[in-house]
Amino acid sequence: MTDDILRTTDLTKQFGALTANDEISLSVERGEIRGIIGPNGSGKTTFFNTVTGFYKPDGGSVHFDGEEVTGWEPHRLARRGIGRTFQIVSPFKNMTVRQNMLAVQTEDGRSREEKRDRAGEIMEFLEIDHIADNEARGMSGGQQKLLELGRVLMLDPELVMLDEPAAGVNPALESRIMDHIHELNDEGTTFVVIEHDMHVMKTLADSVSVFDSGSHIAQGDFEAVSQDDAVREAYLGGTTAEDDEVPI
Amino acid sequence: MTDGVPFLDRLPGARRYWYAGLAVFLIAWPLLFGNFWARIGVGALMWIGLAQSWNMIGGYAGYLDFGHGAYFGIGAFAAGIAMVQFGYPFLVGFALALVVSAAIAYLVAVPTLRLTGAYFAIATWAFAESMKQVALVTEITGGTFGLSLPRSPETFIGVPVPFQIGETFFYYAMLVLCLATLALTYYLFERHEFGYRVKALRDDQDAAESLGIDTTRVKRQVYVLSCMVAAVFGSVHAWYIVYIHPNDVLAAIITDRMVIMALLGGLGTLTGPVVGGLLVFLLERLSSVFLGSTTFYLPLIGILIMITVLFAPSGIIGILRGEVDRDEVRKNVKELGEKFDLL
Repeated sequence: MTDDILRTTDLTKQFGALTANDEISLSVERGEIRGIIGPNGSGKTTFFNTVTGFYKPDGGSVHFDGEEVTGWEPHRLARRGIGRTFQIVSPFKNMTVRQNMLAVQTEDGRSREEKRDRAGEIMEFLEIDHIADNEARGMSGGQQKLLELGRVLMLDPELVMLDEPAAGVNPALESRIMDHIHELNDEGTTFVVIEHDMHVMKTLADSVSVFDSGSHIAQGDFEAVSQDDAVREAYLGGTTAEDDEVPI
Repeated sequence: MTDGVPFLDRLPGARRYWYAGLAVFLIAWPLLFGNFWARIGVGALMWIGLAQSWNMIGGYAGYLDFGHGAYFGIGAFAAGIAMVQFGYPFLVGFALALVVSAAIAYLVAVPTLRLTGAYFAIATWAFAESMKQVALVTEITGGTFGLSLPRSPETFIGVPVPFQIGETFFYYAMLVLCLATLALTYYLFERHEFGYRVKALRDDQDAAESLGIDTTRVKRQVYVLSCMVAAVFGSVHAWYIVYIHPNDVLAAIITDRMVIMALLGGLGTLTGPVVGGLLVFLLERLSSVFLGSTTFYLPLIGILIMITVLFAPSGIIGILRGEVDRDEVRKNVKELGEKFDLL
């Protein structure tokens, strides 16, 4: 029997006539890194927003760690253990890096001192402790991504959902971010990652879910998924590729 | 020597003496300059406190509250009603101002804080206008006649009051309230995690929610707190001014002034409302006293606001801190020049 940390059943989200998520059922096993891929507009970010409470689903359910959390408010889900980042990086620009970390609200009973110590540990782990007292607005895009990850880690989340963590980041920093994800995953944190860079996805994800036009069309390890006919159809629009893999 | 004064001991050398000197100056103000300047001091301190109260919700939380002045009036009438209609001493009125303003602010916060931007501004403005109309037709507020408050009790809870309740007394009362407001703002918004959460929801509400911040709750807390501070100043003002009328203490201009003061000084900063409050109040009062015009300051304020919005959105404090974006200024000057065919 698998130990699912996240399970969605027939999760549906509509915007007027558009069905952005159409009865999506998927399970994420505790401790894995799950990739989510799909063409633009396939419903990946909508899925994130619905799971993390930013959109109310029109149907279906979300279970986290065995508990039904469908329709919970985002802050409640965050405190329950689901951390997330956004496609467009969103640091609180008028605050310092340290203040960004301390703004995070948890219900773990930590004292202010303990929280400050924890923020220090995380900043050190992410190698942003040297800019702890700098304003976030002066950080590079890559550093802002690290800060976003750092804030999420202040929640001590069991599940982290990352929306394009490597987008717009230079290769050196991208490699650092991936190393951090692997390290955290080794310590037991589960990840669900949306990423368009298939080379990143190939090395990062234990398994991959493919979305197309709002539906969850395939799931498996990267190699298997890239050979899947439905995935080829989604990426190539029905033409036959001579490559072995999805042209990514 | 500052031994035994922990607050001063923690301050760096030069700053310690600067603050000590300022404290002595503020305490000595009415004794040095007499009743006229004590009265100026009462007004300046009250407006600094009111601007700071608006800055809590408008600057730190980013919610443009155009009905904030209503709480000044609510505080004034709470004190007035307690003293005139029920014969209670001022302190009961003061406590009533806190309780009533908190209760009304909470009831207003629940529906209005679901709105953002102009919708929130319009809803709060409408609330303030409705408060004024209610006060004008309600008997307990004195209606269109207003209320005349007793100024100087000779006894307090049976004990003779050993000093005269005049300009000097109100100067010190406002000084204590103003300093308490600034200290509260500094601690809550600049040093405490609560303030970081408030700024977080202002910068990006979705990101704040994703980090466990219950933004609805935090917004309500800031709103209620800021309204209570405005009500506190309103209650003391009522006792000081001894006659209150809905058209005065519930006037829209009260909110307008708070907004202008905070905007000119610098939104979302501790010192911005102090600088803005002092500047606007002194411009108004001194032009009235020395130039004999009660309206001369208005065009000056208008020009200052235009300059601030166009060239220094972070206010006078932003300019002093060197936070002016030169590229933005150049762009604005160019656009302005093109618009008026100056370039």
